[in-house]
Amino acid sequence: MRKATFLKPVLLAVVAALGVTGWLLYRAAQPVELALYFHPFVGPEPLVFNESRYPNPGGEGRFKVRDFQFFLSNIRLVGATGAYVEPDSYHLVRFDGAEPAFVIVLHDVPRRDYEGIEFGIGVDAAANRSLTPRGDLDPNGRMAWTWEVGYKFVLFEGALVRGNASDPLVYHVGFDENYRLVSTELHGEPLDSRTSRLDFRVDILRLFQGSATVDMAALPDVKFDRADAARLARNFAAMVTPMRSDAVGQPERAR
Amino acid sequence: MGGCDGRRRSATPLSGFSAPFVFGRFQVPADNPLTEEAVELGRRLFYDPRLSATGTVSCSTCHIQRLAFTDGRTTSVGVSGRPLAFNSMSLANLMWGPQHFFWNGRAATLEEQALIPIQHADEMAQDLGRLVAELAADASYRELFETAYGETSPAAIARALASFQRTLISSNSRYDQFLRGEITLDAKEELGRKLFMAHPDVKVSLRGANCIDCHSQFLTGGFSARYDGFSNNGLDDEEHLQPGLSAVTGNPAHRGLFKVPSLRNIALTGPYMHDGRFTTLEEVLDHYDRGVRNSSTLSALIAEADNRGEAAEGRISLHLTSGEKAAIIAFLHTLTDQDFVTAERFSDPFTGK
Repeated sequence: MRKATFLKPVLLAVVAALGVTGWLLYRAAQPVELALYFHPFVGPEPLVFNESRYPNPGGEGRFKVRDFQFFLSNIRLVGATGAYVEPDSYHLVRFDGAEPAFVIVLHDVPRRDYEGIEFGIGVDAAANRSLTPRGDLDPNGRMAWTWEVGYKFVLFEGALVRGNASDPLVYHVGFDENYRLVSTELHGEPLDSRTSRLDFRVDILRLFQGSATVDMAALPDVKFDRADAARLARNFAAMVTPMRSDAVGQPERAR
Repeated sequence: MGGCDGRRRSATPLSGFSAPFVFGRFQVPADNPLTEEAVELGRRLFYDPRLSATGTVSCSTCHIQRLAFTDGRTTSVGVSGRPLAFNSMSLANLMWGPQHFFWNGRAATLEEQALIPIQHADEMAQDLGRLVAELAADASYRELFETAYGETSPAAIARALASFQRTLISSNSRYDQFLRGEITLDAKEELGRKLFMAHPDVKVSLRGANCIDCHSQFLTGGFSARYDGFSNNGLDDEEHLQPGLSAVTGNPAHRGLFKVPSLRNIALTGPYMHDGRFTTLEEVLDHYDRGVRNSSTLSALIAEADNRGEAAEGRISLHLTSGEKAAIIAFLHTLTDQDFVTAERFSDPFTGK
C-alpha cells in the first residue's frame, strides 16, 4: 500500500512528461503556413499609382506608375535538415488590389530550422517555353508575349512628365537569360507563430538604379532589345529585399 | 409531369463538353454545374420573346447566331425603340477572358448579367415575377425547370441562360485549325498574324500592330486577371472620355476604359467598338494606325507603339503600311468560325433557324 501511494505521483509525473513531450513532438511535426508579404516602394517612398511624383533617376522630369507587376517563382526554403519547395510556384506579384501589400501564403510548410529562402524573379526557362497554365502563368494573360517569345518577367507602364509634356514609359523585361534567383538568409529562426510571416520590400526604383542608372527620357521603353533588357535585369535582381517586420506599417502610417 | 411525384429528377451532367487546351483553365460555378437540361432550358429562354414585356424581343433579337451573336446595328434597339448606349457584344468563349460582363464590366457573373437586360426599360422591360408566372404556366418549361433546378424562379432563369451561354464555344476557325497544325495560313494571313502578335520595337526592327497588347494570343480577347482586360484604346480625347470601367470601380484612372472584346468572328460582328462607331475593319485599323486620341488614361502601350519610333515626339501613330493593314484584316478573317455560326445546338429551338 505504501509502495503504491509512493508510486502514484511518480507515474502521474511520467505520464504528464510523456504527454507534454508527445504534444511538443506532435506540434513540431505539424506543418505551418508561412505568409510572405511584399511591400511596394519607389525608393524610400511607398508606391502610389498614377501620380507623377518620382524623380527620373537618370535625368530630368518625374515619372508615374500606371501598372507594375512581376513574376516571382520557384519559392524554396532551405535548411540543413531539408528543404521546402512550393509546388507550381509562379506568382504574379501586383499592387493594384485593395491591400497595399501583396501576400503569398506557403501552405503545409514542415516546421524546421530553415536557413534561407530562395525565389526567382521572372520565369524559369522550362516554364517560359510552356503553354501549360501553372500557378499564375497564363498564356492568354497580360504577361504573355507570344508562345514564340515567352513571358514578360517584369512589367512597368507609366509616363515621364517634363513640363507640360507627358511621354509613355513601357518597360517589359523578359527572356530566359534574365531570370534571376534571389536568396536571403533567415538567421536560423525556427518557424513558429512568431515568424510565420516574412516581409519584403519591393523597390521599383531598383529597376532603373543599380548597376546601370536609367535616364527615362533617353530610354523610355525596353521590350525586345536584349542588351536593354539585360541592363534592367541586372538591376531587378536587387529589387526584392528582406524587410524587418517591425518596420512594416510605418510607410502606411506616413501616408 | 415532373415534380408531381414529389421527387426531383436529377439533371444529366453535360457530356462531350471540351475546349481547346490553349484557351487555358475555365471555371463553371459550383452552384450551377453544366447539365443537359440546364443548357436546353437556357437555349429555349434565349430564343423566347416571352422574356420581354411586349412578347416581341428575345435575347436573340440582339444576339443573332449567324452574326456570332451580335445584331449588326451601331447600338442595339429593344422594346422601347430607343437605341441603347452600347453595341451588342458577341457571345463566344465567355468562360475565358475578363469575368466582368457588359462593356463597362458591371456584372461579375453570367448569372448576374442575364437578368439585367430582361428588366431594363429599353431592352426587354419585363417584370421577373410576371415572367416566372408565365413560364410556370407552360408545362414543358415547368418540367425543364423542375429537372434542371427544382424550381421556376428568377435565379433558375439566370442560371439556365448562363449555362447555355457557357456552351457557346467558338474553336474551329481557320486560326484554330492553324493552331492545331491542320492547315497553314497563306502568306498574307501569316504576315497579319505576326503583326497582330507583335508590339513594335524599332530597336530590333520588329514591326507590329500591337493587337496582342490587349487581345490575348489564343483567345484574342481581354485578359482575365482582375481588370487587365479593360483598356482605353484612344477613341475619345480627355474632354470626351466616358466613365467606362470607372463607373464600376470608382477609380478615376479607369475613366474611358472598356472591356476588350474577343475578336473571334470579328469579320461578322461589325459595327465595332463599344458604341459601334466604326462600320468596317478598315476603319478600325485606321483608328489604331493614326486615329488614336490622347488622354490621361490612354493605354501606355498604344501611346508608345510606333513602327517608326517617333512616338516620343508626342505624335501617336503605328505607321503601318496599307499592305500591313490589309494583312492584319486577312488574319482577322481567319477568326471566322462557320461551325459556330451555323451549329444547330446554338440555334433557335422553336424554329430550328
